[in-house]
Amino acid sequence: MIKASKSEKQTGCAHLNPMPEAAAYRRSPAVVMRLARMGSFHQTRLSFMRSLLRRLKKEQWQFKRPVWEIDHDGYGRAVYTVIGPQRSYSLVAFSHHLDDQMRSDRVIATAWDATFALFDGVPTTADLDRLQDNVPKQEVGRISDSELSLSRANRSVRLWKHVIDNLAAGQQPDRQQLESVGYLVRTTAVYGSGKFGAADRLTISDRAELSGPFQAEMLSVWLTRAFSIDLVEHIAKSIGGTKAVVIDPDLRRRIGVGNSTGLGMAPFLINHPTLLNNWMVAREEAFARVRSLAAASESEVKDFKQHLEKARVKVSEWHSEHPIQIGKLHQLGSDLEKIVSYVETKSLSGNHPWDVFYRWAEQELSMEGQEQLLSLMLEPYGELVDGLTQCMDADEHRSFFIDGSMSIGKILEIIENQYDWAIAVDYQQKENRARFWYTSAEKLEPRVGERFDETGAEYEQPLCIGFFIRQLYEALLESDRDLPIADFLLTNSQHRHTVRRVQTLLSHPYSEVRDNLIAADMLPIDLLRCKLSFFGASKFDPRSDRWVRICMYQDAPFPHELLATAK
Amino acid sequence: MKQKHTLSEIESYVRKAAQATGLGWGLAEEAGKAARWLAAFDLPGVEIMLAHLQQLNGKDYGEYTPARVDDVWHAQGAYLCPLITGAALADRSGQMLTGTEFRLGPVSYPILLAAMIGQAARYHRTIFTTSWAGVSISCYENGISIEGNSDDLLVAEVESVKCLQTKGTRPQSLPSTLACDIDSDAWLAIDKLAFKTYAPATAESRAGAGAGLTDND
Repeated sequence: MIKASKSEKQTGCAHLNPMPEAAAYRRSPAVVMRLARMGSFHQTRLSFMRSLLRRLKKEQWQFKRPVWEIDHDGYGRAVYTVIGPQRSYSLVAFSHHLDDQMRSDRVIATAWDATFALFDGVPTTADLDRLQDNVPKQEVGRISDSELSLSRANRSVRLWKHVIDNLAAGQQPDRQQLESVGYLVRTTAVYGSGKFGAADRLTISDRAELSGPFQAEMLSVWLTRAFSIDLVEHIAKSIGGTKAVVIDPDLRRRIGVGNSTGLGMAPFLINHPTLLNNWMVAREEAFARVRSLAAASESEVKDFKQHLEKARVKVSEWHSEHPIQIGKLHQLGSDLEKIVSYVETKSLSGNHPWDVFYRWAEQELSMEGQEQLLSLMLEPYGELVDGLTQCMDADEHRSFFIDGSMSIGKILEIIENQYDWAIAVDYQQKENRARFWYTSAEKLEPRVGERFDETGAEYEQPLCIGFFIRQLYEALLESDRDLPIADFLLTNSQHRHTVRRVQTLLSHPYSEVRDNLIAADMLPIDLLRCKLSFFGASKFDPRSDRWVRICMYQDAPFPHELLATAK
Repeated sequence: MKQKHTLSEIESYVRKAAQATGLGWGLAEEAGKAARWLAAFDLPGVEIMLAHLQQLNGKDYGEYTPARVDDVWHAQGAYLCPLITGAALADRSGQMLTGTEFRLGPVSYPILLAAMIGQAARYHRTIFTTSWAGVSISCYENGISIEGNSDDLLVAEVESVKCLQTKGTRPQSLPSTLACDIDSDAWLAIDKLAFKTYAPATAESRAGAGAGLTDND
């Protein structure tokens, strides 16, 4: 086992690559930053849920549930608190009655089975009362800078009733039914960073435990999972009395938290290019480090095989009704069998075994299979790659600056070398600009429209990067190459946004999705899957080309299992 | 009446409001950051930005763009726009590191110009000082300091402005905040402008929101 060097631990990301030999194994942005590949990503050791739980465990955080004011029917409020070495955070949960006809997975819903806020510290009764007046209203309420996130969830009606009925009758729920759904509640939105009055991102950006991407949101979802179990057990006890039982720990682990995610997530990746770059660089560097290893030990191979077996089980439980995903799952199942066969028949004791393995995969497996293999390859190498999670946040301010002294010729050169995928497209063809991204006045939600069939293209958001690049390119070709770009921008300020992206790409090579985001055949779910895989989600189940259901934290430990109970 | 808003909200709403009044995406982003930067030091970034955007709304931006960027910068029309001009100055801010002193005017809302240049100061990790009439604002990586007559700080227009790098130690900064009180009427007006960037909901757009499947499963 090669260990991460001391210098890396001490200097964080100043030395992202303490293994210079790994650089040769990094995949290029032209390979990685394609929608079809990003839409095949799987969770890894670097995913945000996993890095959160590793930290909580390592730092010996404690857990308690100081408030449980839930009535016989399961309605009321509760507080879940985790206590760290320096600070505490609390999930404040409200459980409500909701008529079935009000239950919608769409962001335009106005009522939910449960609503939540992640409180910075431990709330007083006055805080709880204030939150009770606002959190259930979600977007139309107002929270404060004491809160770090705002979210809501609906029950999985079928499983909810099944689990309660069984527990109340003194028996365990049916394992197969429980595993086929995988969760008791589905969150439909988790808002963070300054939204609806919540604390600004800067509030937490210098706290080690929350400075990584989406750590507050991931903590909130993890505690929401615990709440969902406590709630069904509470209701079952109300109904069944002494006859009622709790869920077996083994079965309980199989329950995660569902999530329905729509287009709201997609623009984030495009609007945060340096963050996207840093996520990608960390991930690609991790793969490259493992591929650069000269040898694999027996225990590392054994570890890999165990995770491979778990992946096979997961895929067998992974169902989708969407034609695209059905095809991909079929392919993934077959790829996993090929991987098993490779491990059984070929040796992983040779020279650079992981690189040889991956090169084989490039030839033999679909993108789903290739990405699955890479995720699995990281599993035995926590010490080698886990430190990279410290490199996954971003100083977005520094890349925001435009260097006006750069010559027009240099900008043209970057475009020709790095945006070939954009300037080669003929945007006069309808299919190449068939879509437009916009924000709906209804709940301020991002959506995609059909440019030639729908109204509203005048509200287009700047996600048509390829199209913008082509326009900039054509304008620059008419200009003097030796002039500074500042001169061009003085009279062409409409191109500032695009020039900024081009310059960002120079220092952040993985910052741009290298596909046409307004093409007729573009699949928004590819962007969603990429982001959700970084979160650590599994069981991606597209419900349309722009909407996906997932499962979070399935098989992960619960707070009372991972952490000591606080007094 | 005032209402508390986070810096994230300020940046996001001002960006949209600026875009709604006709600034391109790039300038609108910079306007959002400038308003956020001022608000972070409890200066009325939102209120001044609103006044400026309302003044520009529907006008020909060409009139407010610098006609010359040598010697003394001035507009094609009566006043330089502090956002367009500030961006052009930021693009050339490297020149201030080698001693260039920029002179320009007349300019509207010079505090916005100072905030735009402040973003460049943060990038270069230096101090850029913008001064006019009786006031001078120094911006650096994590701070703003103001000297002179505070009555002139928020003036709607000024004849002449000077921008240069200041060497030496950083002056004492104004205290910073992550959420600030904004005049409710000003926020409503910004919100109203921002709302113009949202597409009205239609049957087609609703059809694309969510899978449209039941959630009772």
